[in-house]
Amino acid sequence: MSNLLTYISVNDGKIKRSSLEVLSRCNEIAEKNGKTSSAIVISDDCSTIVENLKSYGPSVIYTIEDPIFKNHLNTPLLKALTLAMSEINPDVMAFASTEGSKDILGALAANRNAAALADVSEFDWTGDAVTAKRPVMASKIISSVETKGSPVILTVRSGSYDTVEKSGESKVQSIPFTFDKNELKLTLKEIISATGDKVDLSEAETVIAAGRGVKDEEGRKLIDELAAVLNAGIGASRALTESGDYDPSLQIGQTGKVVSPQLYIAVGISGAIQHVAGMANSKVIVAINKDPDAPIFEIADYGLVGDLYKILPPFIDELKKIKG
Amino acid sequence: MKFYVCIKQVPDVNAPLQIKEGELIQDANRNILNAYDASAVEEALVLKEAHGGEIEVVLIGPDKASETIRKALAMGADSGSHILTEGSEEFDSFSYAKILAEFFKDKEYQYIFCGKQSQDTDSGLTGSMLAEFLDLPYATNAVGLQLEGENLIVKRQGDTGQEMIELPAPSLVTCSNDMNDPRIPSLKGIMQSKRKPVNTIAVSDLKNGLTNGSIKTSVVGYEEKPKREPGKKYEGEPDEIAKEVAQLLDSAENVI
Repeated sequence: MSNLLTYISVNDGKIKRSSLEVLSRCNEIAEKNGKTSSAIVISDDCSTIVENLKSYGPSVIYTIEDPIFKNHLNTPLLKALTLAMSEINPDVMAFASTEGSKDILGALAANRNAAALADVSEFDWTGDAVTAKRPVMASKIISSVETKGSPVILTVRSGSYDTVEKSGESKVQSIPFTFDKNELKLTLKEIISATGDKVDLSEAETVIAAGRGVKDEEGRKLIDELAAVLNAGIGASRALTESGDYDPSLQIGQTGKVVSPQLYIAVGISGAIQHVAGMANSKVIVAINKDPDAPIFEIADYGLVGDLYKILPPFIDELKKIKG
Repeated sequence: MKFYVCIKQVPDVNAPLQIKEGELIQDANRNILNAYDASAVEEALVLKEAHGGEIEVVLIGPDKASETIRKALAMGADSGSHILTEGSEEFDSFSYAKILAEFFKDKEYQYIFCGKQSQDTDSGLTGSMLAEFLDLPYATNAVGLQLEGENLIVKRQGDTGQEMIELPAPSLVTCSNDMNDPRIPSLKGIMQSKRKPVNTIAVSDLKNGLTNGSIKTSVVGYEEKPKREPGKKYEGEPDEIAKEVAQLLDSAENVI
């Protein structure tokens, strides 16, 4: 039976919403075209993830459990995915687009002799070719793409689909896996994790992004305050991650993360196309910039022209009042 | 130590472009060295300056793309290989990686560097595909590199933080443009680049690994991304416009 398989990304023991979006889309395609939609969890501890996954009703939840999966490392993940694909034999293997999945997508496709589509914003499959849309040219253009042959491996931009719960029994099936440390071709020496327990940027409903206009400690404090009021994730333009003011993992844009929150507030960001490529799909865009001709105003729903140091304090106060 | 850097000529995403009958029309005179590849070249140059060695750039592309090889040579790479394509051929990441794998089959090297993606298509597939075809350990999205003996310490940007990974030689790394600012070729560099050797190979000589099924994806059309409706600009007293917009985000948009 032809089938779709969704890889469930896990961050800090929690399922990433973006992979539930992908699973929901695969469920929808399966239902429409009489296929099956399953999921795979690869982790050092699968049990809670499997339980939480059941409300999304994949036909089968496959698990591969091993202590090696505590941290992201491409060699063991590739081995596990290669094994899973050869056992399950999916026609379409779908991932949420994350740095983790981008790391292995090409190698997995090369290994499985599969067609690969990276970072699609839409996809469909009726049983023959996969058709998809991909933003290209710094997201100025949408290309329509098509695959030849099977299997097809793809990654999907976060925010492309809604998460939809689904009733129905999920079978759980563990795939035996061993990994010998000698197979590790590379060594993970250290993880420098800077984001700690803050809101996950790629999943946040509201994102505050700081740009060059945020010049000093005082400005960064205002950003933190605004983010706290709105329970928002904090991102930054390339200028501020390069200067070291913000951690590189917070960069939003063509090079960094692509986000599509309900509300995006660009503070002191001019709106270079490389930045816009990472946030243009946000539902509501607010921009604060003192240059009335800044390109960010061309895409902002609400453009506040003025000094962010003067606008943010009353803006934060008013939001506090509204939030009560 | 031998470094190979895979480079690509791409359209400048800042240049005007149009779509005619579903085809993307770009000004070929605005083609440039892919920014991520420029960072890969820069990183190889920095390592060479510190530790010695030789840098060869490899490019798959039409005759016109030789200017991009010259650019990398002007930056300081020692030599180039141009895998020459003919106008009508179209390849996807999988087939590019197959051709490159065939090129590297009989080569000796410690490290292959690639840009992490092309700035026109943003797929980011070819690097890790090539690593898999060559059975090399690899790291993607590198933001920092250091040599320790013959091993490479790669700082890569992961989802929530940075991972420090040690790679033995030979191996492959894909580079982010966040790792450096590529140098602008000096006049001397440009003059010297003209005398540096560039080896041209017909793509047909490297098609052993290619089969009918090697081109697995194709573009069937392009459309312009729908433009966002222009919003409203608020100019005036900071207190007033801040209040007004905050209230609208609540009452009109319901996103607070």
